Amino acid sequence: MGNDMEVKKKKKKQKLNCRSSKLLEIGENVDKVVQENKENKSSGKKKRKREKGNQVHAGEAVKFSIEEDKSNEGERKRQKNKSSRKKNRKNEEKNRVVLGKVDRPEEEVAGPGQSKTQSKTENSNRPEETSVAVDMRTSKSKKAAKNKEEKFTKSSKKQVENEPDEVYHISSGDEDCSKGMKKWIMEYHQSRPGLKILQQRIDEFITAHEAEEEQARKEREARASEGGWTVVVHHKGRKKTTDSESGIAVGSVAQAAVMDKMGKKKSKEIGLNFYRFQRREAQRNELMMLQSKFEQDKKRIQQLRAARKFRPY
Amino acid sequence: MDSDTIMEPMDLKVRELLKEVQLDYSSATTKLVDDTVSAIKQAIDTIPEDLKVTADFAPQFVRDIGADKVEFNFKKPKLFEIGGSYSIRCVAKPDVDIDLFVRLPKECFHEKDYLNHRYHAKRFLYLCIIKKYLNSSSFIRKVEWSTLQNEARKPVLVVYPAMELAEVPGLSVRIIPTATSLFSILKLNLKRNNVCSLKQDESTPQATPKYNSSILEDMFLEDNAEFVKRTFLGWKELGEALILLKVWARQRSSIYAYDCLNGFLISVIMSYLATDSGRNLINNSMKPMQIFRVTLDFIATSKLWNTGLYFKSQSLLNISKEELLERKQYLRLFPVVISESLAHFNLAFRITGGGFLELQDEAVLTLSCIGKCKDGGFEELFMTKIDYPAKYDYCMRLNLKGNSDVYALGFCLDEECWRSFEQKVHFLLCQGLSDRAKFIRVSWKNATSECNVENGLSIFDREPLLIGISVSSLEKAFRVVDVGPNAEHKDEALKFRKFWGEKAELRRFKDGMIAESTVWESKQWERHTIIKRITEYLLLRHLSLSERNIVHIVDQLDFSLVNGVGDSISFSGSLLEAFEVLSKRLHLLKDIPLKVSSVQPLDSAFRFTSVFPPEPHPLANEKSAVPRLNKLTSTCIQPLEVMIQLEGSGNWPMDDVAIEKTKSAFLLRIGESLQNNWGMICTATEENVDVFMSGYAFRLRILHERGLSLLNRQNGSNQLKHISSVDKELFTRGQHSSMINGLQGCYPIYGPVVRLAKRWVASHLFSACLVEEAVELLVAYLFLKPLPFYVPCSRISGFLRFLRLLSEYDWNFSALVVDINSDLSPSDEKEINENFTSSRKGYEENAQNVNPAMFLATAYDKASEAWTRFSPNSSELRRLVAYARSSANLLTKLILGGQIDSYKWECLFRTPLNNYDAVILLHREKMPYPQRLLFPSEMNQGKHVAQGNASKAFHPFLLPEHMKGNSPDLKDTLLVDFDPLRCFIGDLEAKFPNAFKLWYDSLGGDAIGMMWERSSSKKRGRSEENEEEKDPVNVLKAVGEVGKGFVRSIYLLKSPRLRN
Repeated sequence: MGNDMEVKKKKKKQKLNCRSSKLLEIGENVDKVVQENKENKSSGKKKRKREKGNQVHAGEAVKFSIEEDKSNEGERKRQKNKSSRKKNRKNEEKNRVVLGKVDRPEEEVAGPGQSKTQSKTENSNRPEETSVAVDMRTSKSKKAAKNKEEKFTKSSKKQVENEPDEVYHISSGDEDCSKGMKKWIMEYHQSRPGLKILQQRIDEFITAHEAEEEQARKEREARASEGGWTVVVHHKGRKKTTDSESGIAVGSVAQAAVMDKMGKKKSKEIGLNFYRFQRREAQRNELMMLQSKFEQDKKRIQQLRAARKFRPY
Repeated sequence: MDSDTIMEPMDLKVRELLKEVQLDYSSATTKLVDDTVSAIKQAIDTIPEDLKVTADFAPQFVRDIGADKVEFNFKKPKLFEIGGSYSIRCVAKPDVDIDLFVRLPKECFHEKDYLNHRYHAKRFLYLCIIKKYLNSSSFIRKVEWSTLQNEARKPVLVVYPAMELAEVPGLSVRIIPTATSLFSILKLNLKRNNVCSLKQDESTPQATPKYNSSILEDMFLEDNAEFVKRTFLGWKELGEALILLKVWARQRSSIYAYDCLNGFLISVIMSYLATDSGRNLINNSMKPMQIFRVTLDFIATSKLWNTGLYFKSQSLLNISKEELLERKQYLRLFPVVISESLAHFNLAFRITGGGFLELQDEAVLTLSCIGKCKDGGFEELFMTKIDYPAKYDYCMRLNLKGNSDVYALGFCLDEECWRSFEQKVHFLLCQGLSDRAKFIRVSWKNATSECNVENGLSIFDREPLLIGISVSSLEKAFRVVDVGPNAEHKDEALKFRKFWGEKAELRRFKDGMIAESTVWESKQWERHTIIKRITEYLLLRHLSLSERNIVHIVDQLDFSLVNGVGDSISFSGSLLEAFEVLSKRLHLLKDIPLKVSSVQPLDSAFRFTSVFPPEPHPLANEKSAVPRLNKLTSTCIQPLEVMIQLEGSGNWPMDDVAIEKTKSAFLLRIGESLQNNWGMICTATEENVDVFMSGYAFRLRILHERGLSLLNRQNGSNQLKHISSVDKELFTRGQHSSMINGLQGCYPIYGPVVRLAKRWVASHLFSACLVEEAVELLVAYLFLKPLPFYVPCSRISGFLRFLRLLSEYDWNFSALVVDINSDLSPSDEKEINENFTSSRKGYEENAQNVNPAMFLATAYDKASEAWTRFSPNSSELRRLVAYARSSANLLTKLILGGQIDSYKWECLFRTPLNNYDAVILLHREKMPYPQRLLFPSEMNQGKHVAQGNASKAFHPFLLPEHMKGNSPDLKDTLLVDFDPLRCFIGDLEAKFPNAFKLWYDSLGGDAIGMMWERSSSKKRGRSEENEEEKDPVNVLKAVGEVGKGFVRSIYLLKSPRLRN
């Protein structure tokens, strides 16, 4: 599918060098719409109009067309088959027809009504989307959308009077690495420079990090000794076997053994129900708990009642 | 209010429930009822006495039931009396229908009218006359036909009064004719034949017990109602218990049916238990819930059902010999016997064997609900709907409309043709499925509303026949070979062959036995369709049905799991093998400083719960040779995360960043080592290391033991904060993975249900709201706490229950505790409960803002921090619940209903795009896996703001020129974990923080929904009001720019509310 489209495009390029690459891109984009609207016919006048309109955009895009040509050279070589020329020609025309239609509303300032009918025809042969009927706010939103649409056409007219396109056009971004697909692909490749380089980076980081820590330690010691104290340092002679934070043996001693030992240790705390006052307190606490829980339940039931949670139908 | 303090929550709830369903006998209601009854009386009074009635009033009906000599002169009814639940004050809303008994006058009948359906015909004609005159009454809105317990030859009239009361909407009066002492009881003895069409072909007349019972029922209607009334009047608790039982039964559509239980039979059983005959099991000191429980216990376990229930009459203390003989006969004819000894008639003559088994089973299940569920199982008992789609693993519909074979022998013989047909189907399925099925329920409701019964009985086949099948166990249900009788037993073998036709084949088995058998060859992942194939084959073979009239609900949703051409779950075997090899190799690595001590899979593909488990990629191999590539070779490959633990060491750095860096260094070494030793290709970023093997990409992660050891120490809870979040996340994921894997092993159907559920969540653009693991836990809950059902045994029933759980669970007030290995101790549960209550403290002030809105607790995560801490939030959850509810309703309708053809199964996964403020459509051909798109999205509403072209930088499939290159280059073109959607979302969130909320489908949808974030614009509204940037159109244009080359078009449906 994607290939085919490009093939068609290429032909176009060969034939109509004067036309901007931008137009072609639009053409590609609308290709699908065209396929759906094969019966759609329109006069040639609009077509010409459209062409003019697009020439305005053309300037900047020309140089990129060269770039693209290069990148697709391999493909073109294979495309020696010229039998489909006529077809392509036809296709092209249709592309332009549809494009013309898209552009119409703001060219003739026809208002939102027309653009709507346009979009409808676009979708007319698509099966009506029967969607799961979660109708949260459709009915209102349609009206609202209509109103707003009018507003937008007004406001956008004010803002961009000299820009003929109402439907803002986003370029494919292939010429621009700062945004979009191209950027993502680039970032992807940049993030994978190869194992060697990554290893190097990490090594660098670790050395820097260690140096930093060493530095920090020295400073700390220096600060401490300033006050007339000598810092006694635990030297690296012996391997560390305990975690300084938790006091758990690490490394040489098996994890499980430690856990086992810890478990066997008798807890020094006195059992919670040793003294009478403890028991009494526990009892009282439990009662209080029960009471509060009951209160909660009652509240809960009121809420449920309000929510009609007791109606089994 | 004082009494409240002593009551249990269950009692409180039951009281509330009773308030909801009890009919208020207010003066307005009673007046309405009395007025309606007197209007009926008046209308009947206008009928001229001695009006000549002939078959011409309803010729077709009379012909269909085969009656002769039906002329009579109309006489007024001898008696009007209100009976049924209304008279004993036990009406349970919402069905408020008041039974009005109308005693047929003896003058209209001959003494031999019990023969050949004459009684039924006359009874019907009598009602026809009444109906004609009722229609002219101004008090009455409409009169409709219905049937008495679905018995077509015994229609009743349903009268709707013109006036409607708000408190009792839809109140109706059913006119039920009674035939008190019309005929001699002896003539209607069960052994006698009273239908002559049955007599003709055989020399010894065939008895007609069902037919006789049908007449006897009418003769004793009044007596029985009187008897029930005597027991119930003045005994409040008994009445309340009856209402509870009715509510309970009504929620269970498989037992509250004509061939099982009805309100009258419940009251009869209770009366039995409350009198001498039932040894006074119910006594005056009991509370309604106790009575409820005793009754259920009796239904579930009593041995008396084997001998039948008989009411003792005061006069007859000793049972005579003849009586005993008669009882034996009852038991031979009917599966269940409830009889008054004087009446000589079985009140439960309609109950079928299958129906009664189902009833007992439901009662057993309910009793275990009372014992096991929280709050005494109130929700499960009374509030949960247990209908066919949720209860049965497989549902079938037979569309028999216009199928004349059903009544080829006549509509009504001893039994009605529909009942005989049910039995035939039931028998066929029982024999065909043998031990695969635990229960098979066949029910054909003969809908009558808005039918003209006068035009004959052929209209009763409009509703489809419904079949529910409960699977006994999955191994049995998925069995491929059924072994039949040994070839040496000629008779049985012949029978087998006759039953199975060409499907039967003679086979030699491993143990040397040669036996008849049937083989249902099918692939591992299509085994769930075996039952469908068997049933379809049998029904087509033995009943004259066409294939399109059989709808078996099995695989209708499988389309959503197809990846390109087939279900890629079939590759799971090779994936697990590859993982085994990888694990072995990792353990064998010697040239790394610390040895690998354990390797654990993390990705859902390893536990069969991934919607799209990866298929082996031809380029992700160790060999350097270029494989033959077919046309559509993907350029993207999903990495599968694998967690590694290393030997302990004291040399690890102390701070988080350094730990992560060290881990990366380790992974790089491991990757290199794998590359050197086995030639596995390795590619890495600073965070991730991926290795290719056997067509898969494995992403290695290291769990640092120090974090783990800290986590295990329960007492130092404050130390938990020290653990780096990466380690904690890895740890919980590891725990989750192994738990789910264990569960999946116990319940093979768990995987498919999860996959459907995940697909549903994603296809409605909830990918950002509900993480995969949360879905897995929700589905796990269905399997671990199935009550009031059994564990689901089919993907569709499981999926439906998932949707219902999501939509019906009380998320605000209850934590969902998923106790996978039942390893939660009471203290754990207490802890969870405390965590939950503390999370709900803020509810009173602000119901909007409860975190987490969906509290999912597990053994490894008692505070619901792992998966649902931040999402879904309250509003997202509300949306989820709303979507789940409508999907559940739709699915239920699809399973049950024949008429709704306009709905399609696909709609369950088709999401409406009009519920968003703006919609971004993406280029389908630029998604990494275009074949996973369910439905291409198009917009036909809203304002088209922007449109963009597809980038040429990325293609989801390898291009021809790539394929020519040699392997190393080719492997560079392979993109691991490249997902433009994720990149796009990430960029958007970075560029527009808090400007809008995005809804998307991470499984391959081409639409993104946007909603303006309201609160934030409120805060900043004033300062930035004038900024051009805030104009929604401009914002959307900028959004489009961020997604250059990926965004197809953007539509604006709604501007932010707080503009201007």
